[in-house]
Amino acid sequence: MSCLPTVAESPAERRPNPFRGRTNVVVALVVGAVWSAWQLDLRLVDLIPSQHGLDVCLEFLSRALTPALSSEAEFVPANAPPFLVTVLEAAVTTVAFAAAAMGVAVVAGLVLGFLASTAWWSCVFPRGSALAHVSFGLARTVIALMRSVHELLWALLLVVAFGASEIAAVLALSIPTAGTLAKIYSELIDESPRDAAFALQAAGGTARHVFCFGLLPRALPDMIAYSFYRFECALRASAVLGFFGYGTLGLHLYQSFVSSNYGEVWTLLYALFAVVIGFDLWSGAIRRRLIG
Amino acid sequence: MSPRVEQLWRRRPRDRFVRWSFGFIVLLVSVAWIAGRFSLADLFGERRARNWDRFLAEIRPAPLVGRDWDWGTFLDWGATIMRDRGLDAALSTLAISILAIVLAACLGAVLSLGAARNFATADPFGCVGRISTGSKWFWRFVYLGTRVGLIVMRALPEYLLAFVLLLIFGVNGWPVVLALAIHNAGILGRLDSETIENADPTPLRALCAAGAGRRQMAVVALWPTVFGRGLLYVFYRWETCVREATVLGMLGVVSLGYWIDDARTRDRYDEFVFLIGLGVVIVLFGDLISALARRLVR
Repeated sequence: MSCLPTVAESPAERRPNPFRGRTNVVVALVVGAVWSAWQLDLRLVDLIPSQHGLDVCLEFLSRALTPALSSEAEFVPANAPPFLVTVLEAAVTTVAFAAAAMGVAVVAGLVLGFLASTAWWSCVFPRGSALAHVSFGLARTVIALMRSVHELLWALLLVVAFGASEIAAVLALSIPTAGTLAKIYSELIDESPRDAAFALQAAGGTARHVFCFGLLPRALPDMIAYSFYRFECALRASAVLGFFGYGTLGLHLYQSFVSSNYGEVWTLLYALFAVVIGFDLWSGAIRRRLIG
Repeated sequence: MSPRVEQLWRRRPRDRFVRWSFGFIVLLVSVAWIAGRFSLADLFGERRARNWDRFLAEIRPAPLVGRDWDWGTFLDWGATIMRDRGLDAALSTLAISILAIVLAACLGAVLSLGAARNFATADPFGCVGRISTGSKWFWRFVYLGTRVGLIVMRALPEYLLAFVLLLIFGVNGWPVVLALAIHNAGILGRLDSETIENADPTPLRALCAAGAGRRQMAVVALWPTVFGRGLLYVFYRWETCVREATVLGMLGVVSLGYWIDDARTRDRYDEFVFLIGLGVVIVLFGDLISALARRLVR
């Protein structure tokens, strides 16, 4: 039975009074919020925008229904492509960066996720060797380090270390994504329902059969659904990378904002919404079909 | 394969939509790699190698340049950075994330009511009976409006949102806190509304039959049932908030990101890497607290 970690007992058995723990947590959150406001020196007065801020806000909002269809810049080079073509190109670049990053992240996430799951080591290499222990610990550490640095910081780090290039942006997106995917994959595999696995074991399946045909297929729908959700996050992160000079939607959003061309900003925002919300709805539909 | 296994294989669950989606994603990733200008050579060229060597030399702490490694000097150097700005920036980063997630949790809990299919309807939990056309349309409007609102809130990247809010509110903590709160309220609102939709309707039907109004149902029955799960989601999102709070400082608000960017623009890569390392410590600390809190909530 060593291959199948026992499922944790039900929460009701462990905790006679579920509300005591929760009350403490809520009190801690409220205290934390008050301390935070003090630490950040936040005053409610600052929530009233200055006259300048109000002007910017009104001017910005007034263009919501009249997004720009051509460039609003005062000087447009003669050979510049039409504005809408620029927007489309930026949207395509945003998707391309995210897709390329997800390709790497899913492969790396699967490898690291297997290495960091208890079920993998106990099923596929049942004799707990020293190598298994070291690999397991190493995978966990690498995952934590990949996850704990933000995409934009990875981008800065890679640019400083290797110089600016498109591949640096793709790697910056894929490193934390791979770490997160690996963490979730390993948890899903370890926590997947054991019914099929027990049945396979009772029928005389080897440990490897139990893992590949008992555990993995039960975790797969959740893994796919989560990967789609991560793709959506990668799209947002990819758009923001434009603030650091890459040709995604963020680059043009930034430029249009600082030159106060709010019509252009709205066009770009609608393009961003189309990409992200379109993907949101799509991944929602897939999630419903896979998990129900 | 035995005939029995083959039979099972033929009867496996298949969904055309999921298959086409999967195929399309694979195609998208392949096209991105083939048509994109991504080439690994960009990372391993000779110039890159020289860049890398220079980087390795530059991240050596300033007092240790040209000298043997000495832990005492290193610790002194680190302690000075921490005293000057590191500790305060780390605390501010945590503060931003805590306040943002508390605001997001409150906002999300309220919005989730409007986005729950079984609650935001003219006939919640099927006990009202006769419904007027006006109220039917009103609730349809509330439901769709909240759904669209939540989707837009979470579609906006925090960084972009903070950038816009900074233009409006000026440089103080609020824009960053609000940007994080709005984005996360969009996510938490959706998750909470899904929990409400999956909640057991029996006690709610009983309440409704006993004459409870909508507000009473929400406070007495809905929120208490989704509370535990909602709190779990809050802590999951808080981990992300800590990460984001670090970076949002780069927009000019004093969290860790501000000093990371500051070190970079001053070409002080030793401090740059040190502060990123401090960020890692904060994030891991946040993950640890969140894991403990989730265990308490369960």
